[in-house]
Amino acid sequence: MNLTRDEIIEAVNSALVNEMELDPADLAPEKTFFDDLGLDSLDMVDLMIGLQRKFGVSLRENEEIKTVRTLKDVYDFFEKNQAMLTAQAEAAKKAAEAARQEPPPATPEN
Amino acid sequence: MFGLKRVVITGCGIYSALGLTPGELFESLAAGKSAVVRSGKDENFLPTAPAPREPERFRSLPRTLRRAMAPSACFTAMAGLAALQDSGLTQDELAELNAGCAVGSTMGSVSALRDGYSLVISGQSDRLSPMHFFKSASHTTAFNLARTLGLSGAIYSPCSACASGLQAIGLGATLIAAGQAPVMFCGGADETGSEVSGSFALMYAHAPAEGDPAENPQPFSAHRKGLVCGEGAAVLCLEEYSHAVRRGAKIYGEVIGYASNSGGNGLSQSDAPAIARCMTDTCASAGISPSDIDYVSAHATSTIQGDAAEAEAIREVFGTNVPVSSLKGHLGHTLGASGPLEMAAVFEMARHGLLIPTRNLVDIDPACAGIDHVTAPREKQIRSFFKNSFAFGGINASLICRINA
Repeated sequence: MNLTRDEIIEAVNSALVNEMELDPADLAPEKTFFDDLGLDSLDMVDLMIGLQRKFGVSLRENEEIKTVRTLKDVYDFFEKNQAMLTAQAEAAKKAAEAARQEPPPATPEN
Repeated sequence: MFGLKRVVITGCGIYSALGLTPGELFESLAAGKSAVVRSGKDENFLPTAPAPREPERFRSLPRTLRRAMAPSACFTAMAGLAALQDSGLTQDELAELNAGCAVGSTMGSVSALRDGYSLVISGQSDRLSPMHFFKSASHTTAFNLARTLGLSGAIYSPCSACASGLQAIGLGATLIAAGQAPVMFCGGADETGSEVSGSFALMYAHAPAEGDPAENPQPFSAHRKGLVCGEGAAVLCLEEYSHAVRRGAKIYGEVIGYASNSGGNGLSQSDAPAIARCMTDTCASAGISPSDIDYVSAHATSTIQGDAAEAEAIREVFGTNVPVSSLKGHLGHTLGASGPLEMAAVFEMARHGLLIPTRNLVDIDPACAGIDHVTAPREKQIRSFFKNSFAFGGINASLICRINA
């Protein structure tokens, strides 16, 4: 993930328009997800799953993302953390690859 | 009357391969149309009877409802909204009445289950959404109908394969008759899919891939080769009689009898004596004799064993005195939706005074003979009709409805 802020804004907004069926005219940085845009906690889970895929990162163990309240919070989060998230994703990919290449555990002989 | 209170039907909504309203469905049936098509591009693909699934058709449902709905729940919601409008009740009134629902399906949503498990098995669990669960939960059709209609009463979700929908109606009627609910929206829904068709095909119970898809299924026919899976939904508004009369509701008919039993230890095969007992018990619950029935809407799915067992039971209970037909030849077997959907069609038959024949029934199997098969459109006044639904596990359900003239 190596995006400009504008690219991050575009990606987040297109997820909100395409998947949450929001009107692009309603999207402004200061808008809150729950009160202004009418999303709920289940929507936020789905939004994050979509953005994980879009950006190729994992947010499952991230505590900071759970504190976002406005669109600006989400833009700021990805802009600030993209290097860290990308490094985490690379490390996870390597660990998964290594696990796949390990020999299977020895089975006890009957 | 089979309880303390009388139970009437004051609304009907459907979503089917042959029509999105009962009127459209009846026109298709009267024209002899078949919903059966090939499920894929070549002759290796089994026949199936799909309902319209284009996403645009469900856009009228708010996203917050639609996000938790796979096709089976979408079908249910559309049918439920139609039933609500048809009943003349409003959502505010439903809330005051503490109206509930009972909606059954064989397995929630086979497509949602497939989508969810595909992600897990392919190592993409990180793409799983909570909505995968809600869409595939076995009670997805029931709770989604309740959310759509804003119901605050009890939600029931009978899960009894192909008897799910009729059991849902029977359950709702039983609850209203017992004075436990004034209004219940009851029905069934299901999706077809390769897993569903394939399951029947594994048991040699499915129509073959070869030939003209619309030639199957052929209920009661000497040439029947198995069933064809269909899909859709139907929801009926069941209401306590005096409440319906007080508000001047249109009344389709009255549920005057219902019974359900099982065939003992059968997994997949119907048991004629058990079916006959179920039908007899249903007549007893209504306090009428079989000769009071004007039409039997058979379950008959076009399986070799099932059709013969049902015919044997009908022969024993009704003899040749009551006309019988199955709508599976037109619609395919809509599984959990079949009971309520075919009831909706019978209300239209009653309105038009016309019995729809069993499609594709030319040569009657001798094992299915000895009953009055309707093989051509027949003018007949229906004052009371009988509906059968049977399911794997030896489940039998039957219901009698008296038409409101």
